[in-house]
Amino acid sequence: MLDLLATPPNPTGASVPFWDACDRGELLFPKCGCCGHLFYYPRRHCPLCGDTALGWQRMSGRGTVFSHSHVHVAFQGGAWSGQLPYTVVLVDLAEGPRMLSRLIGDDASAVRGGDAVSVVFPRIGDRRYPFFQRAAAG
Amino acid sequence: MPAVGSDVVIAGIGETPVGRLPGWSSVEIQAAAVLAALRDAGFALSDLDGLINLDPYATPNSMFSSTLAEHLGVAPRFACTIDVGGTVTGMTMLQQAVWAIESGYCNVAVCVYGENTLTGRPVGAQGLHMHNMLGGEEWEEPFGLHGMVIPYALLAQRYLDLYGATDADLAAVALVTRRHALLNDNAQMRKPMTLEDYRASRPISSPLRLLDCSLVSDGGGALVLTRAGRAPQGHGRGVTIRAIGMKTTHNSVALMPDIPDLGMAAAGADAYEAAGMGPEDIQVANLHDAFTISVLVSLEALGFARPGEGGALVRSGAMDLGGRWPLNPHGGLLSQAHIGGMLHITEAVRQLRGEAGRRQVEGARRALVSGNGGIFSVCGAMILEKP
Repeated sequence: MLDLLATPPNPTGASVPFWDACDRGELLFPKCGCCGHLFYYPRRHCPLCGDTALGWQRMSGRGTVFSHSHVHVAFQGGAWSGQLPYTVVLVDLAEGPRMLSRLIGDDASAVRGGDAVSVVFPRIGDRRYPFFQRAAAG
Repeated sequence: MPAVGSDVVIAGIGETPVGRLPGWSSVEIQAAAVLAALRDAGFALSDLDGLINLDPYATPNSMFSSTLAEHLGVAPRFACTIDVGGTVTGMTMLQQAVWAIESGYCNVAVCVYGENTLTGRPVGAQGLHMHNMLGGEEWEEPFGLHGMVIPYALLAQRYLDLYGATDADLAAVALVTRRHALLNDNAQMRKPMTLEDYRASRPISSPLRLLDCSLVSDGGGALVLTRAGRAPQGHGRGVTIRAIGMKTTHNSVALMPDIPDLGMAAAGADAYEAAGMGPEDIQVANLHDAFTISVLVSLEALGFARPGEGGALVRSGAMDLGGRWPLNPHGGLLSQAHIGGMLHITEAVRQLRGEAGRRQVEGARRALVSGNGGIFSVCGAMILEKP
């Protein structure tokens, strides 16, 4: 798919580092400095212990597919018609947390639960987005 | 989990026609449902001192409880708008009404939801204007997720992968609710459905097809609660709320627990414990069916089927009229109308009164109603009993 479309995020102060890291080609998740909990998505406190002393951990970007769906309707409006069908995935990162993302690549339509995937950072408009592709696709 | 006091009863139900109601605004639809419910219970408008509603999703309004109170012409002591999502809001409204009456602050409370979702939504909108419906715009829209279907599709695909289930399991739910809708004159879907029809329906978000998805509907439903014996028409007709169980676990699909750990199991366990009952005590199962997958997940979480065996149970005929646990005799969200689950509750009351006509469940003494908001984010299970 040549012309990917993405609705830009509207980051808060807590999530700017996540999106800035994506622009550098890095996947960073917040990690609690108190209890060590690594979590997604970024917040200003740790959802496990409530502490606000947070840091960032660079993720391997490797994971497996927990679930997926091939989307056939342009729920975000007619401009998305050219994206159809596209694939949304829930990815279990190797380090633990699960994130929602998009699976791209010519073989996305053949994805199965449990498949290995790895993060890629395509540029769409002004940003780079943490999407995934099947690991076999290299 | 404290049991709900058996002193408070559902004394009246009100439903508007469903489907297309052009020329009706959302507040007019809610008012019509309230008036029908008051009439059913034998109360006058001036008796109403509690008013709880949900504002329209297609055209969101704040302060919708006072909008409705003014439109109706009442000045209740207690009015509020509640939105905990989807089909669980009705149950939360009932919970608030029970507490308002048990505390002695209110005598007659009404719970209502309705809107012109089908004819009143903004032109050109693919979905509803449910901004932040799942609370995760920043973590969903950039990744192509918008609205409710894709999250349920991700849940459905996980279900198929986890249990080796197939589209025949999903289809069974669509087929039984359609069979039931054909027995309901106030249902949007009036044509029989075959497995071939189901499989020929267009893909929406795999594995979900069009006929896995609930309807978009205009219409409203309302419930009047009061103390047992207070309703002028309520003698012998009040339906008891034996238990309401609730559980909130998450909001967006990325943080959804895996299927065995969804909050519906905890909500159901609370309700069963409070009522001192189990699935074997239930004769009517009005389960959340915004999508076919919702029913399979709920059947298993609520103990009607073992994990992964929901589809087999539905295919066995157990959820048909005449079976052990008829499912959504009114046709449900899939084939009657999607009125936020309010009609799951009005139908349960009708069944327990024995007034369901040709879709009456024989020997219906207790009904279980389930609902959930978001993607099983807020789960509720409620047991209603014939007095």
